[in-house]
Amino acid sequence: MNDLIKNERMPAIWCQGCSLGIVLGQFANVLAELGLSKENTVVVSGIGCTGRFAGYMNLDSVHTTHGRAIPVAEGIKRANPELNVIVVSGDGDLSGIGGNHLIHSSRRNIDITVICVNNEIYGLTGGQLAPTTSIGSVTMTSPKGSDIEPINLQGLCTLNKNYFYARTTPAHILHMKERIKDAVKWKGFSFVEIRTRCITRSKNPAFKTGQELLEWLKKSYKLTEENRVLREDELGMVKNG
Amino acid sequence: MAKTIAEGNEAIVKGALKAGLGFYAGYPITPASEIMHELSKSDIAFVNAEDEIASVSMIIGASLAGKKSMTATSGPGFSLMQEGIGLAHMMRVPVVIVNSQRVGPSTGMPTLAAQADMLQAYHGSHGDFVSIAFYPNSAEECYKYTIEAFNAAEDARCPVFLLSDAILSHLAESVDLDAIKVQLKERKIKPLGSGNRHFTGLLSKDGIPKTKDSLYYRQWYKSYKDEVMSAAGRYNFYEYIENKNSDTLIISYGILSRAVSEMSNEYALFRPIRVFPILDELREIAKKYKKITVIEMNDGQYATLIESFLKREVRKIPVLGGTVSADEIRKELRNE
Repeated sequence: MNDLIKNERMPAIWCQGCSLGIVLGQFANVLAELGLSKENTVVVSGIGCTGRFAGYMNLDSVHTTHGRAIPVAEGIKRANPELNVIVVSGDGDLSGIGGNHLIHSSRRNIDITVICVNNEIYGLTGGQLAPTTSIGSVTMTSPKGSDIEPINLQGLCTLNKNYFYARTTPAHILHMKERIKDAVKWKGFSFVEIRTRCITRSKNPAFKTGQELLEWLKKSYKLTEENRVLREDELGMVKNG
Repeated sequence: MAKTIAEGNEAIVKGALKAGLGFYAGYPITPASEIMHELSKSDIAFVNAEDEIASVSMIIGASLAGKKSMTATSGPGFSLMQEGIGLAHMMRVPVVIVNSQRVGPSTGMPTLAAQADMLQAYHGSHGDFVSIAFYPNSAEECYKYTIEAFNAAEDARCPVFLLSDAILSHLAESVDLDAIKVQLKERKIKPLGSGNRHFTGLLSKDGIPKTKDSLYYRQWYKSYKDEVMSAAGRYNFYEYIENKNSDTLIISYGILSRAVSEMSNEYALFRPIRVFPILDELREIAKKYKKITVIEMNDGQYATLIESFLKREVRKIPVLGGTVSADEIRKELRNE
């Protein structure tokens, strides 16, 4: 454990078995390894379970309104380009209510990193359908299973000339850590999608323990080293710029 | 210094730059767009954003990062900014938001002036908060009170509104801006990147959320309100023209007060420049007059607030539809 996490605020509010603690720990390790500190780094979150992320970091952090982490972060970066500005937020926050900002900040190629913890559901509000929910998934607002194609985050984040998109999971812990590191080092807009599920709200499949969830993630995705469009079940990194 | 010609929007830009503006984000909208046209030519950090929600969020971020920040819009954009306005109150972030008003609701009459966002400026965002707003009535005043808006934002650590309208924003007047001297307030809060502070829209104490503590909320709200009210109290700008021969005090503000100013021989006139919070000075002044009349370019929004502030009935003269004529106002005043 390094001093970039507010230890006095541990344990976090997240449910037992939730992947967010793993992400928090590895994220802090990446910052420490890259020499990022209170003097040069700001973490910004939106609203939701992942929205609480910024508050656990032991450096200046901002917890914005729902969906606005990216424009707040862009304002910070433009006001002080010397700062490393990193957004950590959820899929509903970044691709639903904040989707327009994702499209445009990535188009402007502002030099920030966005880490999206994608659990395919609105967890904090009780488990409703998100833009990321997979077809067939039962949620509080799709009781018969979703029949809508989920948002294509890879597609959205690779629309422009310059892009950095990585997909990983907390079950592939070293891969996740290295991709976060690559994204933070990237000059320009970078996006890391961390695929997981909600330990409390996800229904099909549902998970009894964190270990069960991690094993399912490990089984569901495979790694690729190739710099090309990732298939749905692949983890890797696509970049240009 | 020789006089030059400036429109209201241009004077707002000059005032903002004089005040030390370091960041602007905005979305094009009539009748405020000239502000972003001008600022895009300046050296400050500037974003032509995707919408007004992004604009207000960006200026909050930039202000936290240490730059005096501003956006400008009109009614439809001001509605979208209400979310960020609440956030800036909760996080105590100084920002300036210009609202050049036009006829609504919705897209309304985009090129015609109104003063119909007064209640939105007073309390458009959800939850309880204290609004500070200035409303100049000339190009020179647009310059001066833009600077004062920046100063008040720094003092009160909250968003401050500079209200204008489609007429004032585009009113070209002879101005001598160099003759206007305003002491500038510097930033006191340390910029991001200097500690382990947590800025959050949640009720929090020392960066730790306190979302189930009613008692703490009450204490927090009281100290927040005291601080903002006391800062606002250092900006008590108004104009009062006494008339001992009249039993009527006319209250008007912004561009409409220019038409009403012709009536000082017949009536006493009060013009709030700091329109919010409502000026305490009005209480004593109003006592001298049997009748209070509020003339404004909306259906009685400020009048309703004045009624509750003075706890007495107020005559409302709405000037609707985007055009102003002193003759019509006079006729209406006589029509009692």
